[in-house]
Amino acid sequence: MSTLQLARHATLRLVFAPDLSSARAAAATIRRFLAEQGVPEKELFSYELCVAEAAYNAIAHAEGAARELAPVAEALFTSDQVELRVTDHTAGFILPERLPPPPPLAEHGRGLFIIQSAMDEVRYLRGTKENILIMRKRRRANQPPIAGGEPGSNRNLSLEESRQQLTESESVRAGLAGELSFRSETLSAIFRCCAELGRSDVLAEDFGQRLLVDLFHLTTADWCVLRLLSHDGRALVVAAASEPELNLGPLTLPLAGEEPHGIVATVAMTQTAARFDLREDSDHNEPLRTIGPEATGLVCPLVFGGTLVGTLAVGRRDGGFPLGKLQDEVVRVFAEFLAIQTVNLRHHKEEVRNRMFARELEIAQEIQHLLLPRTLPQLEGFGLAGGWQSAREVGGDFYDALAVDVQSLFLMVADVMGKGVPAALFAATMRGLLRGLAARSDDPAEILGGLNRLLYAELSAVNMFITAQVVHVDLQTRQMTAASAGHCPLLYVPPGRHNVVALATQGLPIGVLPDTVYRSATARLGDPATLLLYTDGLTDTRNTEGKLFGQRRLMGWLSANAIAGHTANELRDRLATELNRFRGSAEMDDDQAFLLLTEARAGEVRAAESGRQRFQFQRGSFLFPANS
Amino acid sequence: MKIENQGQCLSISEIPELTAVNSANFRDEVRAVLPGSPSVIEIDLSQTRFVDSSGLGALFALYRATAQRNGVILRLLNPRPEIQQLLELTQMQQLFEIVRR
Repeated sequence: MSTLQLARHATLRLVFAPDLSSARAAAATIRRFLAEQGVPEKELFSYELCVAEAAYNAIAHAEGAARELAPVAEALFTSDQVELRVTDHTAGFILPERLPPPPPLAEHGRGLFIIQSAMDEVRYLRGTKENILIMRKRRRANQPPIAGGEPGSNRNLSLEESRQQLTESESVRAGLAGELSFRSETLSAIFRCCAELGRSDVLAEDFGQRLLVDLFHLTTADWCVLRLLSHDGRALVVAAASEPELNLGPLTLPLAGEEPHGIVATVAMTQTAARFDLREDSDHNEPLRTIGPEATGLVCPLVFGGTLVGTLAVGRRDGGFPLGKLQDEVVRVFAEFLAIQTVNLRHHKEEVRNRMFARELEIAQEIQHLLLPRTLPQLEGFGLAGGWQSAREVGGDFYDALAVDVQSLFLMVADVMGKGVPAALFAATMRGLLRGLAARSDDPAEILGGLNRLLYAELSAVNMFITAQVVHVDLQTRQMTAASAGHCPLLYVPPGRHNVVALATQGLPIGVLPDTVYRSATARLGDPATLLLYTDGLTDTRNTEGKLFGQRRLMGWLSANAIAGHTANELRDRLATELNRFRGSAEMDDDQAFLLLTEARAGEVRAAESGRQRFQFQRGSFLFPANS
Repeated sequence: MKIENQGQCLSISEIPELTAVNSANFRDEVRAVLPGSPSVIEIDLSQTRFVDSSGLGALFALYRATAQRNGVILRLLNPRPEIQQLLELTQMQQLFEIVRR
């Protein structure tokens, strides 16, 4: 081992219990460790003192649950420097440049002053959960190197002996590298475990900071910047940095054909790690110069599956970053793990997002369930069927049918302007109100007027409005009374006719003016009765050529099919099929709802009995309630 | 730690270290013998290997407890060089007589 003395550095890491005796013991252990490295007796006192003072502070200033957390004391010995580190879990403090000596009559407050006086450099890295006090003391170059190494032992070595020592030193170094890699492996296992548990969900904070502590310890670095590729893949954004002042803006990557500027950009573009030493770098615009004019270090690309994920830059400000295989190995291994970790984390986030989206849809569909009648009233001699299909998973179109007594009923179709959950919520409110109002009046105009008064304030507040068609049908007299709030006309076959006509009534949509007065129109249904209420999503259906289905086509279709004597369910199925056939592969861009009344035939009863269909929520397919 | 009362001189010796861990104890033990009104208090630091800021705090507390009595001499005997340096650094040597013998 003696041949390794000049290149060697040694570290000691102590995790100690958060009490004063343990802190004191940690300081004494570090003293012994440094003594073993050959640090002279007269220097040991100040090192022990500095660790003790920092460790006491770590304990004295911890608050709440952090009092239970174990502080860490570390010593890092190299032939030209002693570095001491104490990690605390306190709220942290602002380290003054240089403390003045406390007055001799002060009882407290000497600790930091002592540390700053005894050491050459004191830095305090503040993190979210822990802080690190770094204390450095340079050692004079002419000091006899290390304990155990007799002065002059390197002199007069034969070439053969030198070679042998070189070989030995190489193998020891390889051993150390192996050991450190193993330690990194262990860390990576912990990281992976954390990710699986979903605990490291804030990469930039906890995880990044934890990583820095470990990375610092392993590589003797004193600064570190982790950058991750932005979502658009055009810039590297700082995800974690050892100090706030290194939390620099995004680094824009060059476009194809452009030359990358700077070490980090070059590493990112070439996906090749690079060492750097700014003392030998003539580029005065090198972005890494913000770290310090003498910074040295290593920049590693974070690559996963051949794709760039980010960069990890690590080093020392004072030019002392050891450029060895060991450092290369450790940083490279860390970069690899980080890349995997980052990709894992992104997958995890995406999964959570997808799960949330799916849950939102579920809720929306539950609302829609509530919106459409589960069953439709079936009146003696007549058939009723409704269809609904939404451009989205939830929509603002709905229909409803309400039996007033054995021979009369209300039919209604409405379209809430707007889509998605807000529209569905208005639709649900409106459906409830309609049912309430229908119980108090037989006049559709009165019902719409009441509805407008009740909903105007809410609707106008959010700039929404509702079109609706309400029809009261007396099946005995075949008399129907209809009122419309800006809704498309209803279609029916008048007595003695075979073709369908439209009954259009005027009226403003609900929510436009506070006191709209609606007018009812009456008409008689033919025999057999055919009546269709619908929303404009039917007539506005477009095919792949952009052609509208249109009211004329709808009327023609209904005329042709009404006389064929289909039951309500059959007619509904045919209309749904016809609409989807017309649309073909074109996008559906509006909700569709309709309600059909036909005169029942013998077959209708059977259909009603066997027609207890379950709701099926599928995009682009009609949804039918069961008959009851 | 040994505390001897030799007439007017209170002598404290065999202090392996004076730190955050034992400084409160040191303070209490010394205070307990102060009512004997010594005119000289000698603290023998020759065996003391380590003193931290809490240890200095304890020495300072002793100074304050005796400062009201005129004529009380506080003496630190034979501190190790590194501890003497610490005393000088923190200007505590202004409060104590540092004596080598």
